[in-house]
Amino acid sequence: MSAQRLNQILLVLLVSLTAIWLIVPFSMAILWSLVDPAEPWTADKLVPPVMSFYRWQDMWENSSLQTALVNSYLLAPSAAIAALALAMPTAFALGRIRFPGREVCKILALLPLIVPPFVTSIFFTSMLYQLGLHTWRFGAILFAHAIVFMPYAIRIMTVSFEQVRSDHIDAARDLGASAWARWKVAYLPALKPGIFASLLIVFIQSIEEFALAFIVGSPDFTTIPTLLYGTLGQDFVRPNAAVLSLILVVPNVILMLILERLLKSANPALSSGKG
Amino acid sequence: MTLRKWLLVLSLLTPGIGLIVAFIGVAVYIAAAQSFGYYNLAGESSFSLEFWDRMLDRKVFSRAVMYSIYIGVISAFLSVAFAYPLAIWLRKPFPGSLAIGAMLKAPLLVHGLVVAFLFINVISYHGILNQLLQGIGLWDEPHRLQNDRNAIGVLILQTWKNMPFALLLLTGAVQSISDDVLNAARDLGAGSFDRFRKVIAPLTVSAMQAALIIIFIGALADFSFQVIAGPTNRQSLSQLMVFFKDGGRWNDAAVVGVSLMIIAIAGSALLAAVSRIVMRGRIA
Repeated sequence: MSAQRLNQILLVLLVSLTAIWLIVPFSMAILWSLVDPAEPWTADKLVPPVMSFYRWQDMWENSSLQTALVNSYLLAPSAAIAALALAMPTAFALGRIRFPGREVCKILALLPLIVPPFVTSIFFTSMLYQLGLHTWRFGAILFAHAIVFMPYAIRIMTVSFEQVRSDHIDAARDLGASAWARWKVAYLPALKPGIFASLLIVFIQSIEEFALAFIVGSPDFTTIPTLLYGTLGQDFVRPNAAVLSLILVVPNVILMLILERLLKSANPALSSGKG
Repeated sequence: MTLRKWLLVLSLLTPGIGLIVAFIGVAVYIAAAQSFGYYNLAGESSFSLEFWDRMLDRKVFSRAVMYSIYIGVISAFLSVAFAYPLAIWLRKPFPGSLAIGAMLKAPLLVHGLVVAFLFINVISYHGILNQLLQGIGLWDEPHRLQNDRNAIGVLILQTWKNMPFALLLLTGAVQSISDDVLNAARDLGAGSFDRFRKVIAPLTVSAMQAALIIIFIGALADFSFQVIAGPTNRQSLSQLMVFFKDGGRWNDAAVVGVSLMIIAIAGSALLAAVSRIVMRGRIA
């Protein structure tokens, strides 16, 4: 059983390494976010001498954090719904209709993931200037997010559409179901996990997106990532950056955990039966 | 297929793939056109090679090209090199393997800017790393580690952020190799290194290529890690492009953008070819 022993040693080693790798940086961030301005945290002290939620309160009241939160959390669900709505017809075609060039289309759908984001952002902005549309920043970023993250929705929904069972559709039709009823009983149950997964993944991507929000939105449209970037740049205040980092990371971790659960539950639910 | 069916397919594809192709196509087209003097936002628009001509002569441009390629290639190789042994180790489930997988993939959940902040926090002049190394007596005084000249900070960040992605792709590929194949190799006397070289590597080469290429393109076009943790005397291509755009020099930004795309495509093709030759060549 030496392989098992080796596994155990490796396991302990890796878990402790990863723990250090994750726990140390995050505890530092938490501690920094609690530093009270009354007394600075100098190098000779292990923990901040005075701790309070002053920085959190201060950031909440005196920075553009509230606007950024509103912008980010308005933008992300809108982008998720728009991307899903735009992706549905394409995913249906790719998943349920056999036509020549289908594989090429599947690759073309991945285009936004291959072109570097700053190239897309800068020349999309350039196009907005040519068209004179650069003033409506929210709309412009929403439009761009919906398209740039659509590949995820198309990919997931194509798989979902492929897994809708033909015998279910046929049975519904034989029983005289209308198009709407067929959609409701045969398609929707199989598509549901895919729909949630697409919405969630585009939501997370949009919340995190930096290049488009930064280039198209500058100077006056802020989202959480652009605000964090600002705090890390010319006006770097470590405790404030710590507050923003934590605000950006915590909801995402929770959402990702939900996503993982969704994607896991999607498989057994769909692959049951002989298809 | 009938004409009617074609029309149906086309109309279904239009809002999705149609919009994607139009959007990305227009952005790429504008970049290419602006690099040759068209779509000038200020002044006259006409065909001209002067923007390319002048850019290719600039030292800052050639340095940015070399620097971005350096970051792209090294990050891709490091991420894959770390991910391979882990993927092979996690091929068969064992007690705790799920927890390890989850921990290793945790960086996927953390935003790049947050990663950069956490990192500069740890390596800062009075940060925990400096304190530790002084504490154990390795260093006499704190060292300046942030914005180091060789961009080791950026490489660490890229690897930390991208290794889980490579691991995700490689785990899938490694798990799909059946036990029979590996047992057969073992019965024929192949040691663990030979099993990797002659069985696992050739069978997982496509997943590895995908990981290499996607990480290469991402790291090549890096902006935020570079701005926050990179060397201050050098610029990445994205940084240079944003710099020109902020100065209103759209045509120059376009030249950099088009170069970035050309390097991304050429570099990906090269990486794919080299990895195929290296991994497959040994089988013969």
